[in-house]
Amino acid sequence: MNNALHLDCLLRRFCSEVRSCQEIWSVARRKRLNSNKDALWYKDAIIYQLHVRAFHDSNGDGVGDFLGLEQKLDYLQELGISAIWLMPFFPSPLRDDGYDIADYNSVNPSYGTLEHFRKVLDSAHQRGIRIIIEMVLNHTSDQHPWFQEARSSQNNPRRDWYVWSDTDTRYKHTRIIFLDTEKSNWAWDPTSKSFYWHRFFSHQPDLNYDNPEVREQMWNVMKVWLEMGVDGFRLDAVPYLVEREDTNCENLPETHNILKELRRKLDQYFPGRMLLAEANQWPADLRPYFGDSDEFHMAFHFPLMPRMFMGLKLEDRKPITEILQQTPEIPPSCQWSLFLRNHDELTLEMVTDIERDYMYDMYAQDKTMRLNLGIRRRLAPLLNNDRRRIELMNVILMSLPGTPIIYYGDEIGMGDNISLGDRNGVRTPMQWSGGWNAGFSNAEPEKLYAPIIHDPVYGYPAVNVTSQRESEHSLFHWMQRVIAVRKSSAVFGRGSIEFLYPANHRILAYLRRLDNETVLIVNNLSSAAQAVELDLRRYKGNVLIEMFGNNLFPRLGDLPYLLTLGPYQSYWFRLRRV
Amino acid sequence: MEDGNFLTDDFLRQLINVGEVDILVGLPTHNNAKNVGSIVHTIRDGLLRSFPRERAVIINADGGSRDGTPELITSVSIDDVRPDSTVYALRTLHAISTEYASTPHSGIALRTILAAAELLRAKACIVMSPESGSITPEWVSSLLRPAYYDGFDLVCPTYRRHKFDGLLMTNLLYPMVRALYGVRIRESYMPEFGFSGRLGSQFLGQNRWNDGTGDNGIELRLTLAAVTGGFRICQSFLGEKNPVERRAADLVPTLRQTAGVLFSALESDFQAWSGVSGSQDVPTTGSDLELVLDPLRVNRKRLWEMFVSGVSELESVFQSILSPSTLAELKRIAGLGEEDFRYPTELWVRTVYEFAAAHRKSVINRDHIIQALAPLFRGRVFTFVVENRKGSANDVANNIEALCLEFERLKPYLVEMWKSKE
Repeated sequence: MNNALHLDCLLRRFCSEVRSCQEIWSVARRKRLNSNKDALWYKDAIIYQLHVRAFHDSNGDGVGDFLGLEQKLDYLQELGISAIWLMPFFPSPLRDDGYDIADYNSVNPSYGTLEHFRKVLDSAHQRGIRIIIEMVLNHTSDQHPWFQEARSSQNNPRRDWYVWSDTDTRYKHTRIIFLDTEKSNWAWDPTSKSFYWHRFFSHQPDLNYDNPEVREQMWNVMKVWLEMGVDGFRLDAVPYLVEREDTNCENLPETHNILKELRRKLDQYFPGRMLLAEANQWPADLRPYFGDSDEFHMAFHFPLMPRMFMGLKLEDRKPITEILQQTPEIPPSCQWSLFLRNHDELTLEMVTDIERDYMYDMYAQDKTMRLNLGIRRRLAPLLNNDRRRIELMNVILMSLPGTPIIYYGDEIGMGDNISLGDRNGVRTPMQWSGGWNAGFSNAEPEKLYAPIIHDPVYGYPAVNVTSQRESEHSLFHWMQRVIAVRKSSAVFGRGSIEFLYPANHRILAYLRRLDNETVLIVNNLSSAAQAVELDLRRYKGNVLIEMFGNNLFPRLGDLPYLLTLGPYQSYWFRLRRV
Repeated sequence: MEDGNFLTDDFLRQLINVGEVDILVGLPTHNNAKNVGSIVHTIRDGLLRSFPRERAVIINADGGSRDGTPELITSVSIDDVRPDSTVYALRTLHAISTEYASTPHSGIALRTILAAAELLRAKACIVMSPESGSITPEWVSSLLRPAYYDGFDLVCPTYRRHKFDGLLMTNLLYPMVRALYGVRIRESYMPEFGFSGRLGSQFLGQNRWNDGTGDNGIELRLTLAAVTGGFRICQSFLGEKNPVERRAADLVPTLRQTAGVLFSALESDFQAWSGVSGSQDVPTTGSDLELVLDPLRVNRKRLWEMFVSGVSELESVFQSILSPSTLAELKRIAGLGEEDFRYPTELWVRTVYEFAAAHRKSVINRDHIIQALAPLFRGRVFTFVVENRKGSANDVANNIEALCLEFERLKPYLVEMWKSKE
């Protein structure tokens, strides 16, 4: 062996050992994060949803990347969140913002490499932040090699990995989700001269979960990422995995069986990891996704979100309390996932026609703001940039039973750009500063994957992280504070809820209880000051401690407890017997 | 703001809980349990259908019912405390009740409703009669829409009535208000009506509540206040109106609340009405007069007898009220047999005007003046029934119009009498 070759071998060995060391440390940190004490970590979590592409660009190519994200982890730690949900970052033709995956085992080169991803994972774990990634089980991109093989001939071994038909009349009771773009759930494939099934865009063929090879393959995909150390998956579009004739092809028992099998394997091989269901369904239909604690750990509460906006606009708690009254109990180890806004439109699928019309009229009078059955707007513009209402909605989000998810940029009140098509208007670059490209990228502006918001109200000179960090009363600092207060008590993530029904319907009040701790939340949904009398006689003798300022309020007695609240004001009180 | 001390603490607490509203429905009641349940459900249906997004409240001012009327009304509330899966509503609908500390009286009830409307800053209000057996959900919309959306301050109803229903309206109030105030409001003393918060507040502040005189005929007072205050008035056709059974003994109280109130108002409103000539239509949605012609038994003989005996027994009273020529003419027609008896239009108008002038001069106790009008009105009703017994809807409408024109033609006669004192 010559010297050069010997040196090369040494270097390779050294690097390999270093990597092994890193992996050992990574595993150790994972073990610490997944200790028994934290088995229900997702119940206490505060999740921050972001798209790598939109967060920070480290190499100046105009597209956010993993190294850019890593540079901003300190910011997220400072904000106080405890988990990051990464939107799809896999290789993809990006015809649906990455939800059209062309390779499940790699990362999109625009965002970096697998090494870069590992670096983010490790750095986040060092900060006590968990990483949840997206897994699109239902479909692939039509550019995925599996589909390319499947369509290549009717005899291809992968042909049966997708759902094919000679006619487009099968499963005719199935609704079309993307009404604005799709006319059918079947698309014609001219290559193999037959129709393939797709619940979303026609370039996203559905996988055939009746095929055991597909089920096995998708578990293998998940295993790759779990072995790397991810803490959980947000499983996209789970109600649609299986198709059956004469059904609506949603929430079928066969689908639940497949999901239960994934959970069983997860618990067996990767205890402490979490599955989050994306199932835009009514609460009663959502309940089975928790099973007997043997399916999903968490599921989004889709119907609640629009009703929070509705309750705020109506200045009436009824829409919120009603939907929560209709929400079934879930197993103790399970959790609802709550959100105000996300990367999609504010979905209005789970509302009545009257409610939908109301929401459109109140929040999207401009018809270009509407998409499919929803409103493609961010939080701040939806609330007319009214700081009081933004705070109130976040307070409710943080105090209702469930794990809150904050959509990137909403913590500083970012705006949207409805001139961009589809849902891209709410996926614009993060606004870090008032400088070049809002501090997002050093690239020439025309190279950015999407234009920065630059309107007078929400533009980056007015709304950015740097200026908000420097301003004591900024939304960022307020969000920091509300997150800190929420994290100060496990009652928010794990406690029960009991609604109080004061006669003043503009007041949304509830008790959160866990063991010996009781917290009272009182929210004024009205734009005017309100008085409310709360029946708290059973807590007679307790004093109220306002949780944001730790100030004492008068002791509870025999009479109804009278509170006055300013417009959109909230109180969080800890009850203490002294 | 009107002194709200007459509202109970409990009612105020309920109002605080209701908060600001867009729409207020007032329902004055007293032992109306027989009908009020279906009426209040119809009102709720009307609100949910036509105003699902608006903040609304149903307010019951009850005169001390002992039959469970308030409970029937409050039970239609829609809230999150008692979810009702059979009723879908976007928002909370409060139905609250208060009992006022007085004898049952529409004036006090309306005052309570007006005060609530002002405290809740209601933009549009309606008051519904607890006896409205023919109410439909569309009534709610028809009375509210003009006030809520179109900027009208008073929405008076028009109905499809039997030609012999509401004869006090067709033979006295409508023609006299029309002639004197110049506005053609078919139902100025209305069992149900809509109004704007603006008019409600103004009326609440101006009406003479505290001396007790302001409680009588409150609906008519509100109409006249709207007319003289320059508020925007319209009429809205509601459809069929089932007649409410009245006893003969009810006529005098009704005259007090209509003719009595109108005669009183003429004093304070003299500047407003004395210079008006002719009359104008008010904007009307739907028909302003629809008549049902079904055969109806009317005891004409009884009417005639009461007229004749009244003229005879009250002659000395009439001498104080009426001019000699009018009295002589009355005595003459009282001497005619039933078959030949007619109370001519011109004589009726002169009679009414002379009563109004006498009322102003208080030639005798004013209440006695109103009581004395009762037998004469019965004579006029007899004549109206006879003249229109076989008449078509057009014929009846033409006769009413002729009466109105006579009131307008003879208006100078009233003005002259009015000024003669001065």
